[in-house]
Amino acid sequence: MTEENIIEVKNLKKAYADNVVLEDISFTVKKSEKVVLIGPSGGGKSTLLRCLNRLEGDYSGKVVFEGEELNSASKDKLRILRQRMGMVFQQFNLFPNKTVLENITFAPVKLKVDTPQKAIEHAHSLLEQVGLSEKADAYPQSLSGGQQQRVAIARALAMNPEVMLFDEPTSALDPEVVGEVLGVMEKLAADGMTMIIVTHEMSFAQNVADKVLFMDKGRIADSGNPKYIFEETKNTRTQSFLSKVM
Amino acid sequence: MFDFLKQYYPVFLEGTAQTILISIIGIFIGILLGLVFVMFRLSKHKALSYIARVYIAIVRGTPAMIQVMLIYYTLSNVLAVPQIQFLGSGLDRVIPGSIALGINSGAYTAEIFRSGIISIPKGQTEAGISLGLSEKTTMFSIILPQAVRNILPALGNEFISLVKESSVLFYIGVQEVTAQALGVGGTLYNFVPPLIVAAAIYFVLTFVLSQLMQLMEKKMGRKYAQSN
Repeated sequence: MTEENIIEVKNLKKAYADNVVLEDISFTVKKSEKVVLIGPSGGGKSTLLRCLNRLEGDYSGKVVFEGEELNSASKDKLRILRQRMGMVFQQFNLFPNKTVLENITFAPVKLKVDTPQKAIEHAHSLLEQVGLSEKADAYPQSLSGGQQQRVAIARALAMNPEVMLFDEPTSALDPEVVGEVLGVMEKLAADGMTMIIVTHEMSFAQNVADKVLFMDKGRIADSGNPKYIFEETKNTRTQSFLSKVM
Repeated sequence: MFDFLKQYYPVFLEGTAQTILISIIGIFIGILLGLVFVMFRLSKHKALSYIARVYIAIVRGTPAMIQVMLIYYTLSNVLAVPQIQFLGSGLDRVIPGSIALGINSGAYTAEIFRSGIISIPKGQTEAGISLGLSEKTTMFSIILPQAVRNILPALGNEFISLVKESSVLFYIGVQEVTAQALGVGGTLYNFVPPLIVAAAIYFVLTFVLSQLMQLMEKKMGRKYAQSN
């Protein structure tokens, strides 16, 4: 393993009984790299992403994050590893009984990453970063989908993660607010965050990705830089998928 | 018709206080047991989950009156409670009796908690876990507060049932309000008026309780209200 690889996935395989959902998955992610997973629904993209912080367990093969093998990590170790991987969900999953500010400060304070005072200051600066300074005291229910997702991004960033995982962050959004979330993600990418993103937003993938993995039927069917995937590939499955979505 | 109250009202007051006391202890134990057994029930460990299922099945499938008697006669052999009279009854009866009420209520409360917990989307747990919180912290700080809000109406029902069902402690000699009404009835050779008084007392108690629950619902619901 080289120093630069933050994540290494080796021969990952996952099956529910006879139904193989992931097979023969291997790839690496370097610091500051942006890896985008694309492909048809049911192809295993989200499952793969969820294996990276072991929200999905019961797989064979290896997922190594900062030199630690997740499958063999103890519960406590796993918690610490998860603190270093932020995750953003399709359905936002904000805590509805907490204000925006409380959503962001809850984990850092509970896990003693920050003092309450520092956590609040940090939360305000994150809210500024995602353009929602004035919503600190609002409850999630009163926000639009795009605003909720931006809060969710701020919440994940509050733990100062090394890596951010995005699971179709714009798929549940109204078309007119997709742009504001992608904008925040682009800014994050420009700041050098390591990101792994499952998305159907092809132009975003093209702009932001260093590496694109095309997943189909549980396998990485094709991979390369955006220029290769979107322009040069001879892989017929990639071509046929892209012709349908672009 | 209710002239006897002039003479017997202290008896009813004492009975009412006794009913309130055993109900509060019963509710408290019921909540504790409900929390413990819902965690067992939802646990990944098969044995714990099995224990919870058995407890719930037995409590729900047998009459409260028999449970109370069984627990009283068993506990009175094991527990050495001093023979202190309190509100007209011996603590050696009141304590096992309230524990029995709590054990009975705990089974129902566990199921109510379970319905609340499974009503919270899985994404809430995943959000907590993905932030690096432990499963326990996620459950107690994120899932349960939301679940409790959803189950307050059902919980209120359970508490009201418990107040009314606390009358079964009459069978083990706890001088709660039903027992006192029957006692007064026996003295008067007329059971109807004192029983009406007892019924009215239960009604007032449960009415106040339901108002309290509604107040709590409002208070917890306000948190979700729109605000900027």
